[in-house]
Amino acid sequence: MNLFLEWKKIKRTGFVPAFWGGGILAAAVPLLNMAFRSELYLMREEPPLQTLLEANWQMMAMLNVLLVVVGACLLYHTEYADNAMQKMCSLPIREDSIFFGKTILTFFMSVLVLSMEAGAIAFCSCHWFKIGIDFYWGLCKNFGYMLLLMLPCILLSLLISEACQNMWISLGIGVLCIFTATLLPTDSFFLSLFPFAAPFQTLTGTDTAAATHFLCAMVIELGILILTQLLFTKRRRAFA
Amino acid sequence: MNFFSLVRIEFLKIKRTGILWILFAAAIILWIPSILHSDLNFTMQAEGISPEHNFFIQGFLAMSWFLFPASMVVSTVLLNHTERANKGILKMLALPVHTVSLCCAKFMVLLALSAVQILIMTGMYYISAAICSASQNYCFTLSPLFVGKELTFLFLSAIPMLAFFWMLSVCIRTPIFSVGIGLASIVPSVLLINTKAWFAYPMSYPFFVITSEYGKLAANLDTAQVRFLPWIPAAILITLFCFASSCLCFGQAERR
Repeated sequence: MNLFLEWKKIKRTGFVPAFWGGGILAAAVPLLNMAFRSELYLMREEPPLQTLLEANWQMMAMLNVLLVVVGACLLYHTEYADNAMQKMCSLPIREDSIFFGKTILTFFMSVLVLSMEAGAIAFCSCHWFKIGIDFYWGLCKNFGYMLLLMLPCILLSLLISEACQNMWISLGIGVLCIFTATLLPTDSFFLSLFPFAAPFQTLTGTDTAAATHFLCAMVIELGILILTQLLFTKRRRAFA
Repeated sequence: MNFFSLVRIEFLKIKRTGILWILFAAAIILWIPSILHSDLNFTMQAEGISPEHNFFIQGFLAMSWFLFPASMVVSTVLLNHTERANKGILKMLALPVHTVSLCCAKFMVLLALSAVQILIMTGMYYISAAICSASQNYCFTLSPLFVGKELTFLFLSAIPMLAFFWMLSVCIRTPIFSVGIGLASIVPSVLLINTKAWFAYPMSYPFFVITSEYGKLAANLDTAQVRFLPWIPAAILITLFCFASSCLCFGQAERR
């Protein structure tokens, strides 16, 4: 019921078209890169998936993270503008369920965006490279891995937006977090666990053991973030 | 009510918004890695750049690429939402003041916020340079005249970008689109500064200015240099177009 309510709330906010637009923009990155600079990548010996992700993923991930931050800010801005949140709190639903409803919504929109990006990568691989039989399985594994790494970023963005009633504060903190992520060295395992830095990782650029460690760390991060959210809601209610 | 009173009122409105804390936090985050990795500045001498110039330029490259434009997008959100929350814009429009003056006053505040961010960054640069000078036993501090000249140039080059962001926030009333387009437009600037059409893309101006300065300071590095033609006419046209559009759109939805 709550997810349906959240879906209805975003109807006229531009949330869905923004994710479509963001997805198209991010998907256009590898297409344009290959259309204009294919000679830089065609001579490489690495598999096509690795070549394309190495060439484009940083920019695509940046757009994804920006989209998640802006989306999270908007989802809570609609709640705090005109005190809609107080009306939500007077309904017979848990305050946490509003947060998880928004999380599921952002997660599904991220699936949509990543699917569009995967489609663009698959098109580029078929059009400009020769692909092997295991290409599509590798593509699915990579984008599944990226989706999992995106989850803590979604949760933390929503948590920041929930904590700050003013949109510019949550957006400002989000922008600072993204900037911090761009400054962190990608070869450091612990620094890459920062929720805003993790979505910049790819499975092709990581060995199996490190990828397993990443996934375990992401599950722990998710647990911590969910626990923080539950405690935050309880504490805020106590001080309200 | 004259224009200066309007600008003063706009400054009063943002007094308790906390935007200065965000700009200050941005400056701290920017300079911490430079302090931690100050020894790397000595390895860049192969490029023909001195360690103190490298320290300065690397910090401001990181700033002008993403942090500065993104902070300005956040500032436009602030300027618009302080007005739209609780229908403040209706009260302002009820005053015997022309909407163009209101729009100009707000744009002045945006310019002031960008100047404040550059000043905070400069202050943090001098503090970081002093810390690195003490830790590395080498003077990283540059003359205020040189730093002032570079940063004035950076500020002036950012005006068309600010006008574009201001136009987005005024003309597009759906926040997700105005903010989303603003932030997404920053990302390709890193690619566009390497093309011949960089002058048509105002979001790349601050980054281009610092990159070209990097090329000037590093003897062995070849980067595109600032050419005032066709840049200045293009920048003036873009600024005028964006500013005129925002003046036309300002308060139009509320007046209906």
